[in-house]
Amino acid sequence: MNSIIRKISYYLPEKLLTNNHLEKRFPEWNAEKIENKTGIKGRHIANEDETALDFGLKVAVRLLQDYDKSKIDFLLFCTQSPDYYLPSGACILQDKLGLRTDIGAFDYNLGCSGYIYGLAMASSFIKSGIAQNVLLITSETYSKHINSKDKSNLTIFGDGASATIIEKSEKKGIHKFALGTDGSGSENLIVPNGGLRNRYNPDAELIDDGSGSYRTKNNLFMNGPEIFNFTIKAVPIVVNQCLKKNNTTIDDIDYVIFHQANKYIIDYLRKKLKIPQDKFCIDLEYTGNTVSTTIPIALKNAIENGSVKAGDRILLVGYGVGYSWGATIIEF
Amino acid sequence: MKIELFLRKLEQALEIEDTKLNFDTNFKDIEEYDSFSVLSIIALIDEEFGEKISGLELNKISTVQELIDQIGVDHFE
Repeated sequence: MNSIIRKISYYLPEKLLTNNHLEKRFPEWNAEKIENKTGIKGRHIANEDETALDFGLKVAVRLLQDYDKSKIDFLLFCTQSPDYYLPSGACILQDKLGLRTDIGAFDYNLGCSGYIYGLAMASSFIKSGIAQNVLLITSETYSKHINSKDKSNLTIFGDGASATIIEKSEKKGIHKFALGTDGSGSENLIVPNGGLRNRYNPDAELIDDGSGSYRTKNNLFMNGPEIFNFTIKAVPIVVNQCLKKNNTTIDDIDYVIFHQANKYIIDYLRKKLKIPQDKFCIDLEYTGNTVSTTIPIALKNAIENGSVKAGDRILLVGYGVGYSWGATIIEF
Repeated sequence: MKIELFLRKLEQALEIEDTKLNFDTNFKDIEEYDSFSVLSIIALIDEEFGEKISGLELNKISTVQELIDQIGVDHFE
């Protein structure tokens, strides 16, 4: 049985952190240079009393406004900013959304590869007969993990959420997947404290990473150069694996959406893979890197602005924290 | 690759075309040098030589000569 993406919505919190705000807070930072390098002019940030679950609820309510929600028979919730260790945010969302109780629901912890894995699970649940209409929610508030003196990570990441309905269909809308994992890079993108291995430490030392960004072990740490090294190695491989699995070539792909990490990285990957500029998506100007939500934001915008149309074959690629990565091809 | 050409490509990558790099130039003395410069060096070495250089190795490198040694003299004419 085949599956197809029926609808996508996304949600961005109201508060916008612009490059000018960052320049005011960090005088050595230059707003124009940030934009030139990262492609980001602003990023939306959660308020203190808003969580990823709140955003997930908002975006799903919006998506289900004109959809018969009694049809939803599985809920997947992707976040690394959970309200609680337990229960699963997906269970709370099932109740708040008024979904049926005879459905499956769970959280899964992935970052920038999360949307691809969500599509992989949704389409295989449909294929195996477990579900027919899956609601996939991605939602992240990395801003809550980032130290207020960490200018590097504050510059890159933004908060946001997406909701997607994946339905059983005659048409093959979601093609085969290539997935990958390499936990040897787990320490290069991590929040070291706050789990059960290293408890949250209110007295954790503020450390200068040498480039003028400060953080404690309670905060998000990203080893930029190592993440870049991982990306330029893993992404070309997974793109080729995905194309091969689907018996196609990059020439037969109409549009390419990579996880929008930052403009510098995705533009380098585009050149490395020799993908023409006119079919390559760069869409993070006012969102930044929203982790598992960059791909659905870019996809929704590409559909609305006409960059993709019915019948187009779109290559989606996610990669990041874990390390974890994946790619697939979709059609509408 | 000719070393002179590499120096010019390095200047381009670091967007410091007005400054001439030489073997003794210390990266930390370049005003524009920042966290994106590190990515630019990684990208340049990947693109030109297909070699990987870790952030840790780059951190230990101060001068252009040390970078050339790290890439490996075999790559240069």
